[in-house]
Amino acid sequence: MQIEERTAGSVTILDLKGKLTLGDGDTLLKDKVHSLLHQGRKHFLLNLGDVPYIDSAGIGEVVSTFATVSRQGGTLKLLNLTKRIHDLLVITKLVTVFETFSAESDAVRSFSSAAV
Amino acid sequence: MADARLEVTDTLGRRVVLVEKPVFAIGRRTESDLRVVSSDVSRDHAEIVRHGDGYLVRDRSSRYGTFVNGDGVTERALAHGDRIRLGRSGGAELVFLVEEAGSSVSNTSRGPVSAVETLRQMAALLEGLRALGSGHVLDEVLALVLDAAIEVTGAERAFIMLADTDGALHFTLARARGQVTLPGKTFDTSHKIPERVFATGETRIVSDLLDGHLANAHMGTVALGIRHVLCAPLRLVRYLHEPGAAPEQKRIGVLYLDSREKGTLLSPTTRTGVDTLATEAAVAIENARLYRETLEKGRLEQELRIAAEIQQGLLPDARYVGKGVEVVGASVPCRSIGGDFFEYLELPSGDFGFALGDVAGKGPPAALLTAALQGLFTAHASSEGGPAATLARVNRALIRRAVQNRFATMAYGVLSQGGRLTYSNAGHNPPMLFTRGGVRRLEQGGLVLGLFPHAQYEEETLQLDSGDVLVVFSDGVSEAIDVHGEEFGDDRIVSCISANRHLDPAALLDCLLATVRQFSEGTVQRDDVTAMIVRV
Repeated sequence: MQIEERTAGSVTILDLKGKLTLGDGDTLLKDKVHSLLHQGRKHFLLNLGDVPYIDSAGIGEVVSTFATVSRQGGTLKLLNLTKRIHDLLVITKLVTVFETFSAESDAVRSFSSAAV
Repeated sequence: MADARLEVTDTLGRRVVLVEKPVFAIGRRTESDLRVVSSDVSRDHAEIVRHGDGYLVRDRSSRYGTFVNGDGVTERALAHGDRIRLGRSGGAELVFLVEEAGSSVSNTSRGPVSAVETLRQMAALLEGLRALGSGHVLDEVLALVLDAAIEVTGAERAFIMLADTDGALHFTLARARGQVTLPGKTFDTSHKIPERVFATGETRIVSDLLDGHLANAHMGTVALGIRHVLCAPLRLVRYLHEPGAAPEQKRIGVLYLDSREKGTLLSPTTRTGVDTLATEAAVAIENARLYRETLEKGRLEQELRIAAEIQQGLLPDARYVGKGVEVVGASVPCRSIGGDFFEYLELPSGDFGFALGDVAGKGPPAALLTAALQGLFTAHASSEGGPAATLARVNRALIRRAVQNRFATMAYGVLSQGGRLTYSNAGHNPPMLFTRGGVRRLEQGGLVLGLFPHAQYEEETLQLDSGDVLVVFSDGVSEAIDVHGEEFGDDRIVSCISANRHLDPAALLDCLLATVRQFSEGTVQRDDVTAMIVRV
């Protein structure tokens, strides 16, 4: 898996590309977000449009990254869920935990409407 | 009458020395004619004195005394075979020998002719080992090498240090004359020489290693009074198949020999012999190491098999028949051990509980958490409250114990005797209820277990009718893939169960699992496959 980083104002957009599974990029995401938090970034949007497959370990990683960001007073939202990831979030009820978006502009705007 | 000798046994091991002076001093200090290493031995402990035709032993006001055949003595005439103990029992012991040597006493010094002969035997032996693919385990090979090295050189002690993957040398085995293994602590010697030999690959001979003031700086070696050291690298030479290519060399450790007497340790013949021995030994050691790794791998597989048996043993009997209910479950791990479980419970209220859970991940880490979850669930299910309250308690208990990022999903249902089902679903694939009216998915519940301490769980109560069938399964069923990468999916579960509802639960479960197996034939099973059929 690869992670590309962009910014839109105060929001850091992380474009994830490739499978997110046990032993395949499952710690990459956490490490990346950790270092960004250290740089003072607080608002994250994970673009999952190019993640064809995610397993339970991958879900665990996204959740733990979400928890880490929340603990540091930041926010993490999800963008472009594939049907598979959406179904998985619905089954695990994690869909109630994450804010999800299908349009990047809406997602970025949502950060500024909340107190930034 | 032959020369008088003493067979000495102390922390160095066993050795034989000649009583070569009319007054032969024994003690811990360096000037002694016989240095004996033991905490009970005084610096000037005792002496053997020639007296007329015989010998006597005389104590020199030692701290812990001198004993002959168990009696404390100040002076005693010695006979062949007398045992002289210096200090308390467990201290150093000397056997006084004056008659012709029997076969039990070995000679200390060996001529070069005999050494070369031994080397040849050794080479043949090692060749044999190599041909056998080193059937001997590592320690046996090391002991063999060290004993041969002692035999060849006349050294008092020999040890092998092997390098780990980072190139750091580790003391591996030490032997003394008489094929005695020395405990690791006694070999508290300087690492400087071995490390230098290992780094440079050059054999080193160091004489009079420690004298004068240097002695105090090297406590380890000086306490033992070592003066002569021969240290050779253990070199592994690989001959490559490409013509003209230089052989590859890899150093795997060092062979270190030392002695207080010069013996043959310093002769050029010995040095060449030790170099040859070291090269042969390196091959034998490496083979033994590879062999041991294979053995350990085999042991790991064996342990996994046992773990798998234990895990299957933790699951309830596949079939349970209660009043107005029949249940059957099965779990097929994708590796030898898995992360799924199912459980049946006869609750204190008289109701029947059933659960199916799936811990994220596979293999041993998931299996450990699965065992913990199963235990937590069983403990919490028996206390007050319905399925939702139980899942909330299990969630909190799991968070207190679980590893980060590890979570589990679980569906838990309680069936009362009137056919009322109350269930709660913690992020698990929705179980499917097949009724006359159609198929219903049981989705009420809450988040996956083990991630959010404040997760809330809901429950739902349904009235079941006789003949209704409930199918609870893990994602290994719905997400089994075929050779084209297509998933089995919920729809195939529905059609399989709908078509075979008339079968009894055990046959229905077999049918479902067989359908999944046929579907994914030709692919590698990616996840544990677990399913349970409940019929009222």
